Amino acid sequence: MNQHLSSEQIARWMTGERTPADEQHARQCRECGAELARMQAALALFRGSVREWSEQSSVEKQPVWKAEPARRRWGIQPVRWALACVVLLLLAAIPVYRNAQEKQRQAALAKADAALLEQVDAEISRAVPSTMEPLVKLVAWDPAPADREGDSGTNQKGGIIQ
Amino acid sequence: MDAMRSAASELEDFDAVVQLHRSRVFRFALASLRDRDAAETLTQDCFLRAYRARDRFRGDSSLTTWLMQIAVNLVRDQVRNRRLQFWKRTQSSAVDLELASERILDRDSSPEARALANEQLRAVWSATERLPGRQRTVFLLRFVEDMDLLEIAAATGMKEGTVKVHLFRALQAVRAQIGSRV
Repeated sequence: MNQHLSSEQIARWMTGERTPADEQHARQCRECGAELARMQAALALFRGSVREWSEQSSVEKQPVWKAEPARRRWGIQPVRWALACVVLLLLAAIPVYRNAQEKQRQAALAKADAALLEQVDAEISRAVPSTMEPLVKLVAWDPAPADREGDSGTNQKGGIIQ
Repeated sequence: MDAMRSAASELEDFDAVVQLHRSRVFRFALASLRDRDAAETLTQDCFLRAYRARDRFRGDSSLTTWLMQIAVNLVRDQVRNRRLQFWKRTQSSAVDLELASERILDRDSSPEARALANEQLRAVWSATERLPGRQRTVFLLRFVEDMDLLEIAAATGMKEGTVKVHLFRALQAVRAQIGSRV
């Protein structure tokens, strides 16, 4: 009798890679035959228990396949698009809003500047100081032509008015 | 070429694909994770991914192998993420597993024979639980799903020789757990 089948030979046997020599040995050696049968029985039991457990679990709680998750995503797609559009619109509106505010601010500044310039012009164009304005109103001051000429600081003869 | 076309055309009726392959994917997930809820979620996820990627399936492998490839990747990710919760799922599924094991044991056999079979079954479950991830995957695909080495290689992305090595090691660990010849 040859040596018993090695652990590797038994593993090969289990995966279906048995040689004629292995088969012959298994037929002749009761111990190796029993070992192989024991392993095969254990693996068959294991396979059976996994299958039984799996079937039992499937029956208890039958999960249903739905391709709907993918379709449902199409269903909520419009909402997503709408949200995206709103966000984009808001983003686009911010510069426009800021621009409008800036324009308003500039217009207000321009208005204030114009008012200030008008005030300055008015100050400059006064004939008399503002404190004397009431007196000017009381005396209807109409300067003579000579005086008017004197405004230029010279008379007709070119002399300087004293 | 025709085989590729037929495999790709199989995906046109996706509901039929689910009907045909769901139990296999679920069983593999359940045996790998030992958590019914997680296995259901994973199965759903597997078909969802397959559904999304169905246009990219060229039929280079069979539809079963392709689906199992997705399932193997999902299981690997799941195991990586759930390593710390392992005790939780084993506790919750222990009762289910016990009941399932009871049902498959031959009621007509003697109490001694039943006890021995039960002991062997527990030993295999215990051994597979302790196997490293790749060895466990290869072992389950071979001995629960009856896939051949080439199919396992395609599903796991390993070379055939690597699959063989993992399978031998897994078998040796299982045999050691059962108890070698007396």
